[in-house]
Amino acid sequence: MRPRFLTVLLVLLATLSTVSPQAFARVKLITLPVRQRVEIQLDHPQATLVEEERIVPLVKGVNQVDFSWANTQIDPNTILFRVLPRPADESKPLDVKVLSVSYPPNENALVWQVASDGSGSARVRISYLLGNLTKSFNYRAVATNDERTLVLSQYIRLQNFANEEFGSTGLWAGFGTHFLKAIGINETKQMLMEKYEQVPIKKTYTASTQEFGYLDRPQNKLTIPMHYVLKNNKANQMGKAPLQFGKVRIFQDDGRGSTAFIGEDWGQFTPLQDEMRLYVGTAQDVVVVRTIEKNEQKRVAGNLYNREVIVKFEIENFKDRAITLDVAENVRAVRNEVSSDNGRDVEWVIGPQTTFPDGIDQQRSTFDKVVLHTDLPARGADGKAKKVVHKLHLIMKNEW
Amino acid sequence: MRSVISRCFLMQLIVGCAGLAFVPALPAENVDLSTVPDRDTVQLTIYNSEDITLVRETRKVSFKKGGNPLQFSWANTLIDPTSVELRFLTDPDKLEVLDTTFPRAKPHMLYWNVASEIDGEATIEITYFTSGIRWTADYVLVANREESKVGFEGFVRVHNNSGEEYEEAQVRLVVGKINLVEKIAQLAQVTIEEVKEMEEESLARLSKGVKRSLMSRTAMPSSAAAPEAPKEMIKEGLSEYFIYTIEGTETVANGWSKRMRSLKPVDVPLQIQYRYREPEYGQELVRMYLMRNDKDSNLGTTPLPDGEVRVFRDNGRDGLSYLMAQSIKYVAIGDKIELNLGPDPEVIFELIRLKFWRDNIWLHLTGTDVFRRVDAPDIQVQVNSSVVGWDDHAMYAQRVRNYSDKPVELEVRRPLDGHVDFRSELTATNHDFRTVQYTSTVPASEQVDLLYEVTTHLGRNAKQNNVTLETAEVMKP
Repeated sequence: MRPRFLTVLLVLLATLSTVSPQAFARVKLITLPVRQRVEIQLDHPQATLVEEERIVPLVKGVNQVDFSWANTQIDPNTILFRVLPRPADESKPLDVKVLSVSYPPNENALVWQVASDGSGSARVRISYLLGNLTKSFNYRAVATNDERTLVLSQYIRLQNFANEEFGSTGLWAGFGTHFLKAIGINETKQMLMEKYEQVPIKKTYTASTQEFGYLDRPQNKLTIPMHYVLKNNKANQMGKAPLQFGKVRIFQDDGRGSTAFIGEDWGQFTPLQDEMRLYVGTAQDVVVVRTIEKNEQKRVAGNLYNREVIVKFEIENFKDRAITLDVAENVRAVRNEVSSDNGRDVEWVIGPQTTFPDGIDQQRSTFDKVVLHTDLPARGADGKAKKVVHKLHLIMKNEW
Repeated sequence: MRSVISRCFLMQLIVGCAGLAFVPALPAENVDLSTVPDRDTVQLTIYNSEDITLVRETRKVSFKKGGNPLQFSWANTLIDPTSVELRFLTDPDKLEVLDTTFPRAKPHMLYWNVASEIDGEATIEITYFTSGIRWTADYVLVANREESKVGFEGFVRVHNNSGEEYEEAQVRLVVGKINLVEKIAQLAQVTIEEVKEMEEESLARLSKGVKRSLMSRTAMPSSAAAPEAPKEMIKEGLSEYFIYTIEGTETVANGWSKRMRSLKPVDVPLQIQYRYREPEYGQELVRMYLMRNDKDSNLGTTPLPDGEVRVFRDNGRDGLSYLMAQSIKYVAIGDKIELNLGPDPEVIFELIRLKFWRDNIWLHLTGTDVFRRVDAPDIQVQVNSSVVGWDDHAMYAQRVRNYSDKPVELEVRRPLDGHVDFRSELTATNHDFRTVQYTSTVPASEQVDLLYEVTTHLGRNAKQNNVTLETAEVMKP
């Protein structure tokens, strides 16, 4: 159905039948003329604000400006009507004031009563929230063959299901490029917002039983996800604006003049200086076998016990490059794995049999999560990986 | 006397003429001649807390000496029949209502028996309550780019679904909560649905052009001169209420609503605070616009009635950004205006529990299953004893990462259940017996960890149900 959004006719009702011509000769009904300028503000997370400017001819006295719409989701409660100041070089700008606005029953319309001190035209700006005109963001990352840097392209995608066509319209997401585009009905338009070149990649490998589980449970092999971590700051060739939530598709230069798709993830909103962490895929060349080597409880008194648990990690890096592996364990989950869940938090300390060279990562560890790191050498020239064994010794205190 | 053109749902006042028999005989007889005096003035006093409007109208009526029957009917409106009153503004000592009759078969009609000592015209005033007319307030706020102040503008909107058109009415709006023991719509004995159906029928009869022409009159004041500025609203205190009187007269056609400015735009200074208050705002840190309805803020001339607030911000590009819409409750003069803009994606708020430990553990000794090694009297195992009291200690970091380019004024309220000691060097106070409130400032582009330690006394160690504040240094593990 063609939208009857805003008509372009100028209708003047010189007199009204029910009143005397003398008394109401100054009352005019004016249907809004065509848009002169439209700006679509996309900076709100959920709402889309449309601002349009029109030149309205007014006569001296009280004028009525009629605004109506159909088949579009304008929120009538959000409509703002403002008369814009005239350019300073104009000889005598009109003094225009909005007196009131009336809402007819059962119609998507309203009528402004506007008083003007003279005849002439006024530039007005009408702002309103419009539904079904939505935006989203998505990214395309192309990593170099050696995965040291990538090119991150950020796109904005505008979907116009508002049943309204916009000619040349300003589009602004609150940051970055200001676009001037035409958007048709039911049209989706994707535009490149920003392109960041030479963005350094930090690759991480994580062994976290509770977060990522087992790749092979009978063999106790953990799933080891590989993440790309991108820092949104100038030092890392970004830092122009926060990165908006959106899907990131990641490709890698295959070294043969083409690229290969290596994974995708939802990129979370990333403010300036923060990190975007992207789960690219599972690193099957990093094998981590996790077993509980020791589980022993010692009575303190009565029903009060201390418990010692040693979690053993046998790690092999079959990659041809040395990596750092992050190991994370949830202490409460470990307690529940070897004992019953008593519903209480765990008081714990690291025991002396822990072998991770740098101890626990205090910055990333919490009261129930212990994070450790270990460096893994690349596989040898003979193709064999060196097995590295590390132990996490947990002493859980005052359990009952 | 004049006749008026009336639609089926208009109220009518019919004056019985000379040949008419006197009430109570009147309802049984045919009315052979009657006149319908027009309204001279009408005043609407509309309340926003309840669906009630006081209508006060005056008409000119000619009386003859002796008995004068007056018929007043209000078919298809939402008038409370028990509220209809007649008063004589002229010759009150010579005119008297002898009685009022509500005919059995005609629920929307009454007769007044008026005894007159005059033979001539008098001005009468009829007052009654109706429902179906209401008014709402709303506010439009536009913050400047720096968010140091907002342009604050207030509006009122009158909605007329009463079934009656009040033309050229003086409109008064009452701000406040009145007490009613019965709803006017119930007393009117007409369901809102019936009125709505009736409206659609009547609206169908009215062409759009006619409706527009009706509305066009709403723009006109009672005098011939058009206003050149929005109408003023006179605001006065009245008992526990405030009353807004709209300058001049207004016509709001049945089914229409009309919005007028109630507060001229003023610049109001703005304070921004970030708050965490779970019962009020949920489990997120929210950004607040804080203002005051007082003279220092260029407001304070009137309470702000309940209403919807819509907030925009100058986007620095000759346009606006939409920020939020929120309903506010009545704001008294001098009281604060608080608007919740929701979470700020550039300020990340995390509560991190850094460490947990337990001490002050008490066992209940049953005394029976006690074991002792003969060669080591110090070694004693009491099998049947069990833990009955202990203290849980938790160290927290309230981490705030401020990625924005402005400092963040932070206020956090955390309820802590049980017998709790709260240790910290933070500026903390007890908001209530179980809730700790602390404040801090997080500089632009910085991260802070606000450290505190919570000790919860449990089991038999719990002696109270409150939070005790202690000032102590808390070190990260």
